Amino acid sequence: MGTQHVVTMLPGEGTGPEICEAVRLVIDASGVNIKWEYEDIGLDCLDKYGTLLPDKTIQNIAKNKVALKGPTTTPIGTGHKSANVTLRKVFDLYANVRPAKLIPVLKRPWDKIDIINFRENTEDSYAAIEHMVSDEVAQCLKVITWPGSYRIADFAFKWAKANGRKKIFCVHKANIMKMTDGLFLDAFREVAKKYPDIESGDIIVDNCCMQLVRNPAQFDCLVLPNLYGDILTDLCAGLVGGLGFAPGANVGDGCAIFEAVHGSAPKYAGMKKVNPSAVLISGIMMLRWLKEEAAAARIEKAMFAVLDERKHVTYDVGGTAKTDEYAQAIVDKMHAKA
Amino acid sequence: MPTFTETAKATKKKREIKLVGVDMYIITEKGIPKFDDIGAFKCEFISNRGTKVWPGFVSPDLLQVNWYRCRFMATKDVQDADVNTFLDALTKKGWWWSAAQKLWTYDGEPGFSKAY
Repeated sequence: MGTQHVVTMLPGEGTGPEICEAVRLVIDASGVNIKWEYEDIGLDCLDKYGTLLPDKTIQNIAKNKVALKGPTTTPIGTGHKSANVTLRKVFDLYANVRPAKLIPVLKRPWDKIDIINFRENTEDSYAAIEHMVSDEVAQCLKVITWPGSYRIADFAFKWAKANGRKKIFCVHKANIMKMTDGLFLDAFREVAKKYPDIESGDIIVDNCCMQLVRNPAQFDCLVLPNLYGDILTDLCAGLVGGLGFAPGANVGDGCAIFEAVHGSAPKYAGMKKVNPSAVLISGIMMLRWLKEEAAAARIEKAMFAVLDERKHVTYDVGGTAKTDEYAQAIVDKMHAKA
Repeated sequence: MPTFTETAKATKKKREIKLVGVDMYIITEKGIPKFDDIGAFKCEFISNRGTKVWPGFVSPDLLQVNWYRCRFMATKDVQDADVNTFLDALTKKGWWWSAAQKLWTYDGEPGFSKAY
């Protein structure tokens, strides 16, 4: 066994625990040496701790600096603060990396999609600055800063350079929001000067949406402010097969949390019915972040093979396998002799 | 016949509005501000880019800009004139601020968000 990594496991709620157990089964079978430390997060924490994100969980993530997270539910409207957004804020996980890549076995109308979205994760209208400024007017401040914009752009260019990507576009609405989106775009252009080997450009967000559904193959990497990023990353997930296959990484300078971006599907909780692929692919991203490329590639190859055979796949991709049966099939495939 | 605006406004629920505090947007290059109580107002929290930086845990990696939201809550019943006195005192203490936002409750419910 190689270097031992200590990783915080956040199973979340609803179907989260059964998904995370399936994912742990696969990751542990890949040959990587991980000590998992389980911590609570999400709606189930409310009765026990009075918060969606207990301090104990925060302290554990601060110690380990890496976590794998299952789905959680954010209450709509008034009430408790989102555990997801709180995690991003507390640990300053400013880069939300959301790859959207076609999985060969999933039939889609396109031949090629391989986009990496870099969503700024801490600013914009997610700064939690909202007021009822009169009894008939609500206001939310959209906060865009030069350091925050420069940082996400630089992160994206560095990632692109390290991973052989060729082209980055900044997505914005600077024709209308000239101060906020204008600042974001200016910072992107400033950073782009440092990376002359990578083609850069910009595109207005509404046009980007249209172009994505008409011809997604034209895009390589996108850098987006928080709100556009939230929306377009799900659009991209839809292009490649839905949220069931959409991984995500929230990365800061000192910590990274890998998570599925789908909800916790409480109506399926305990039925072992849902597809764990999104958390599993997030786990593969985590392994690569931990420099465990061999284990990551082993899982990825086995997962694609199981999907391709379609014998042990979950209901959403036309099968009848339970969550853990799908995971076990991936484990068996990894252990099968070539 | 009422206009559409009149029709919409007629659906609005009448609510009791009460002044309970002020959000101050302070510009400083000296890091997280520190405040003593100022008149009838006490600082409850300070956030930067929406993230709470006082009191409590702050990641050493947290990016902070030179613009802080400082929430001051009233320690007793206050009127608009008390806010004027507060702003004057804050300015005299040397704080440079870009904006102030009064905080009201509506039928006792906060009309303002907390920081993350």
